[in-house]
Amino acid sequence: MQKHTSTLGEVPVYEDFSLCTHCGLCLNHCPTYRLWQLEADSPRGRIRQMLLVEEGELPIADGFVRHIDRCLDCRSCETACPSAVNYGKLVEHARARIENEYRRPWMARVMRNFVYRRLLPYPERIAMAARLLRFYQASGLQVLARASGILRMLRLAEREQLLPRIDRRFFFDQVGKTFPAKGPRRARVAFFAGCVANVTFTALNEATIRVLTANGCEVTVPDGQFCCGALAAHAGVRDSARELARRNLAAFTSGEFDAVVTNAAGCGSTLKEYHHLFRHEEPEFAGALTLAEKSRDVTEFLAGLGISAQLREVTARVTYQDSCHLLHGQKIREAPRQLLRAIPGVELVELPYAEICCGSAGVYNVTETRASMELLAEKMRHAQSTRAQIIATANPGCLLQLRAGAELRKTNQEVLHVVEMLDRALSGSAAT
Amino acid sequence: MTIAANLAARLEGVVGSSRVLASEAELLGYAIEDCLPAAAVRPSCSEEVCEVVRFAAAEKLGVVCCGSRSKLQMGMQAQRYDVALDLCALAQIAHYDEADLTLSVDAGMRLEALSKVLAAKRQFVPLAVPCLATSTVGGSVVSGIDSMLRLQYGTARDFLVGAEFVDGTGRTCKSGGRVVKNVTGYDIHKLLIGSLGTLAAITRLNFRTFPLPETSAGALTGFSSAEAALAFRRELLGSGLPFSCVELFDGQFSSLLDGELGRLKDLGFAPLKAGGWSLYTAFAGEEAVVRRMKSEVENRSARAAAKSFEMLEEQRNEWLGDALRESFDWLRHAARGVVIVRISQKQFATQGPKLFLSNPSSSGWRSALLMSGSGTVMLALLPEEENESGREEMLCSVREILAQGNTGENTAKLLHAPAWVKAHCNVWGDLRGDFLLMQRVKAAFDPARVFSPGRFVGGI
Amino acid sequence: MDPALIHELKALLGPANVLSTREDLMLYEFDGSVEKGRPDVVVFPHTTEDVARIVKLANRFAVPIVGRGAGTGLSGGALARGGGVMLVFARMNRILELDLENCRAVVQPGVVNLEITRAVEHAGLYFAPDPSSQKSCTIGGNVAENSGGPHTLASGLTTNHVTALELVLPDAEIVRVGNRHGDSTGYDLCGLLVGSEGTLALVTEITVKLTRKAELVKTLLAVFDAVGDASRTVAEITARGITPAACEMLDGWTLAVIENYLRAGFPRDSAAVLLLEVEGLREAAESQAAAIDEICRANHAREVRTARDAQDRDLLWKGRKNALGAMGRLAPSNYVLDGVIPRSKLPEALERIHEIGTSAGFRIGNIFHAGDGNLHPIILFDPRDKEQFARAIATAEQIIRMCVSLGGSLTGEHGVGMEKNELMTLLFSDADFDLMRRIHDAFNPDSSLNPGKIFPVSKGCGEIRVGRHSKTAETRA
Repeated sequence: MQKHTSTLGEVPVYEDFSLCTHCGLCLNHCPTYRLWQLEADSPRGRIRQMLLVEEGELPIADGFVRHIDRCLDCRSCETACPSAVNYGKLVEHARARIENEYRRPWMARVMRNFVYRRLLPYPERIAMAARLLRFYQASGLQVLARASGILRMLRLAEREQLLPRIDRRFFFDQVGKTFPAKGPRRARVAFFAGCVANVTFTALNEATIRVLTANGCEVTVPDGQFCCGALAAHAGVRDSARELARRNLAAFTSGEFDAVVTNAAGCGSTLKEYHHLFRHEEPEFAGALTLAEKSRDVTEFLAGLGISAQLREVTARVTYQDSCHLLHGQKIREAPRQLLRAIPGVELVELPYAEICCGSAGVYNVTETRASMELLAEKMRHAQSTRAQIIATANPGCLLQLRAGAELRKTNQEVLHVVEMLDRALSGSAAT
Repeated sequence: MTIAANLAARLEGVVGSSRVLASEAELLGYAIEDCLPAAAVRPSCSEEVCEVVRFAAAEKLGVVCCGSRSKLQMGMQAQRYDVALDLCALAQIAHYDEADLTLSVDAGMRLEALSKVLAAKRQFVPLAVPCLATSTVGGSVVSGIDSMLRLQYGTARDFLVGAEFVDGTGRTCKSGGRVVKNVTGYDIHKLLIGSLGTLAAITRLNFRTFPLPETSAGALTGFSSAEAALAFRRELLGSGLPFSCVELFDGQFSSLLDGELGRLKDLGFAPLKAGGWSLYTAFAGEEAVVRRMKSEVENRSARAAAKSFEMLEEQRNEWLGDALRESFDWLRHAARGVVIVRISQKQFATQGPKLFLSNPSSSGWRSALLMSGSGTVMLALLPEEENESGREEMLCSVREILAQGNTGENTAKLLHAPAWVKAHCNVWGDLRGDFLLMQRVKAAFDPARVFSPGRFVGGI
Repeated sequence: MDPALIHELKALLGPANVLSTREDLMLYEFDGSVEKGRPDVVVFPHTTEDVARIVKLANRFAVPIVGRGAGTGLSGGALARGGGVMLVFARMNRILELDLENCRAVVQPGVVNLEITRAVEHAGLYFAPDPSSQKSCTIGGNVAENSGGPHTLASGLTTNHVTALELVLPDAEIVRVGNRHGDSTGYDLCGLLVGSEGTLALVTEITVKLTRKAELVKTLLAVFDAVGDASRTVAEITARGITPAACEMLDGWTLAVIENYLRAGFPRDSAAVLLLEVEGLREAAESQAAAIDEICRANHAREVRTARDAQDRDLLWKGRKNALGAMGRLAPSNYVLDGVIPRSKLPEALERIHEIGTSAGFRIGNIFHAGDGNLHPIILFDPRDKEQFARAIATAEQIIRMCVSLGGSLTGEHGVGMEKNELMTLLFSDADFDLMRRIHDAFNPDSSLNPGKIFPVSKGCGEIRVGRHSKTAETRA
């Protein structure tokens, strides 16, 4: 009998695929299988296709690319998998192969190149794009576009709904600063601010800093930090992801921190796997591993540290939607729930199928809008069934998606990050 | 030489003279209604059963299998009744692995004898059927008669794990096995349950056995109205408490039951004497469980404003439980021309027993009703006196009950009735869409229609 | 495959419900077992009428038909051994009716087992059959295979929880068997159909019983330093007349493996553990738990631990239910056997399995339903090594023969399918096969439905012959 030898390196080997015993336990955990009931769009089926591609039995052609593209990379299957198949890595590898070996339509190529190679790695370009978008939203152009029906004509109505609201102030201004702990210092942390979040989640990032400092943390937002590279890595644009990682290593390994904290589960799970981007023998590997080990999701970090700040009552019925990259990517289920329960007045009700993706999945809601909207509709149906006033979650992408869902479905539910809930409890304002 | 005598002689040639009965006195005991077979055969082993069946198939004879014959009158008259195949001589325990709680027993063994063997190991098979003292294992299963422990242990379907039988071609076949969990091959033995001997001659049955409960007790609660009694029944069944039976019966049934119990001596069950509706519950298990159940039933009875209540311990519980189990038997003997209908309905049927009779009072007959916790209802019509107009009225009522009882998912069949009622009613209720499949199954088992031709559903 | 059939299927169901490219079909040639069989076309019916029309079409083109749910089966029951049309019921996945008071649910075959429980748990009810794949497997597949699970011990197999079925027969006729109360008149056709492995009819609607949650559930973990002690404990619990809700055994070697990946709280250095569960009235569960505790200790259990809370309990069960998959960590492939023995023979059977494995050069894991004598020896192998693969298959057969020789059976819950059909002769005689074949033919006279399953097909000629119109060859060879 041969022992399994997993490499988890750049190229998966037979054993990485054969870990999958095609038992099918993943099927019903996969959002796309739940939507379409197709083997081809199930984790088991995708692994089979990848193996067939590796073995040369299946070409990297439209069919394969479609099924791999449709994967949300939510990694729910990893939670379900009894053999601990490293699905996330396998699908990223497949995407990298597609990126290198498959010629996408012209438009898609241009767009992907722009987003992954020309936009996300450059903070100033993000800021510029944000200013343009903000002009669209604030100038009345948005109202005009919505009212004119031109969006519907361009089949952009739903996508447009998903556009983040651009903040008036950008969080970029806070980068490089250090915020002292309130009361005795219990920890020193570095805050990872994200990329797009700098222009769309200024309030969330500020709330995170308030909650951390209120609980005795000295928070530094290190200068020179960049996008974590998650979006690029998930899309198979590995070169870009590695470049971003290098820059972040430089920014975060300079100071003495107890932890590197993020409020974005997607970034968190990428940071925690930074060492997978480099081979053992590469000079970046050791630093990547250190950063990976220090990385903490903000809910994980706070639950572990313990809430020391005085929380005032927030009277509300709250439900919690698991963020895939927190639950499946980082296996963190209890921490956010624990924090919500710690807020006096909060009645936490479980959301049925909370573990299934809301359809946000990075840029999935833009690239696979129809599937994303179907998942969102199902999600909002369950959310409504809980009769919760607030839907809490733990990732900016999920916030955007769920907010769009609440608006589209008119559910009258507020969507907040767990940290925002805590922030609210610090000031003690009652929910609506 | 008559045909009958001729047949008997030829059967003797097949299995030997000691195994064949042919005198009229002996054959009277095998009568179905007023029809006698030409001969009765008592094979001593399954090979002889095969011989008889092969002979019958070749000669196109009708064979009715029987055991102690306590339920031989169920179903319709056989289209051909040439040979009674008496399986009582097959009465051995073939295999009993008490540590595995599995049992393989010949079909002709009496339940009572079997119980004694099992009781010595503190085990039992939960077939609490009427005529328990005489019933054979095979007859209890093949008749499909309800077991009083169904609520807790289910039907034979839930604990019969295998069988051996002789099919209509005279070959010994088997299905299932002797283990408690098995999905090897088709579950053919399930088809035999309640098939009234129309598929095969069962020679051996394999059961899963159960530990005898440490102790048991019962309670009798009396109510002044059907509504209150039904509401209480509903509460108990919905409580999730592990009752071994929950039997509800009306005033008429109570007084008949009281009379039946009184044949021993006056036992003085107050709720029965008081008339009105009564509900009997029984429960078994460890001491602590029975104690808890007692208090549950007592408290709930008090809250339900019961008219009367009696906790039944040991002997008194046994008396009442036994009498209820045997009700099919004493009801059919309670008067001449009794009709007993069995209706299966939703466990929580709310319409109540009145559903079955638009005009429950009649000068010609009385009705007595027993509702079991599993949803089966036994309704007995007892004629006051036999005359032509009474018969007509009775027949109308029986037809109405069958019609009502066969609506939707419910089913109704005649468990017991005089020949003239059966002749004018659908004994087994209405045929449904699956009858075609049943005919095909029958043909698969018994292509020459040897076994009990015409006695079962749709004259199969 | 006649392209005209595919064309007509697309016209009937719409192109989105028909798969016919090689790439797509390759994904339907396997299930959870080690077997393979590729269909020629895959279709997704949405209604009973769809199913009947598909069957009619297949009949017109004289191609075989096979039903499939989630494809999690372990005996190849849902594989297209004879090619032909595969009906995937995954899109017939609606719960049609819930009658909570009478504890019944009416569901379509594609409903996932656990989804039934999720739909009724708010009322304190659940669907009792709990195969380890219950999060994915469909109720239709459970009905076909008569699936069991850890809790079969007290609550029975699928057949004990199904009261009525709607069928589409191989001649496209729609028939209902059984009734809601489980008390229909006539032969128990429902009892015959459950576990018939899709060889008699396609099931399109199922009425299931719902079970009330017990007042108290206690889960115990008993740790042993010798396998014999654990198996003797099981035999004694059984002999003492205690019926736990579940009684699972996991051997020490496999425990260490799963613990490394699942962290369910199992010891890494034991010889075997028993995962026991008792449930019922509080008083009953407590006294049974106490009795089990006593028996375990009398049989030298190193430790007997009770799950602290529901979360602890779920973790232990997660470990148990995922155990099989975790074995995937040790070798590229594993072969999970499914045999049954009388429970009194458990210590002997485990010793024999160990001997068989040793002499064949395999270390065999055992994760199984000890309480009902349902063994699941696991053979680890590498399918790329043809010699090893052949040896694994031969070892498996040896173990199953051993089960039969101890008075047991071929399969306790996985089904015969195309895995054990050749071994059926170990248990059944020519007369038995004749009757089974006549019953088969009463429903499926042309063997158009799921050919090549249950019945030995190579009897006497060493060659597999399947497919339509090969009935004579199959049975009379």
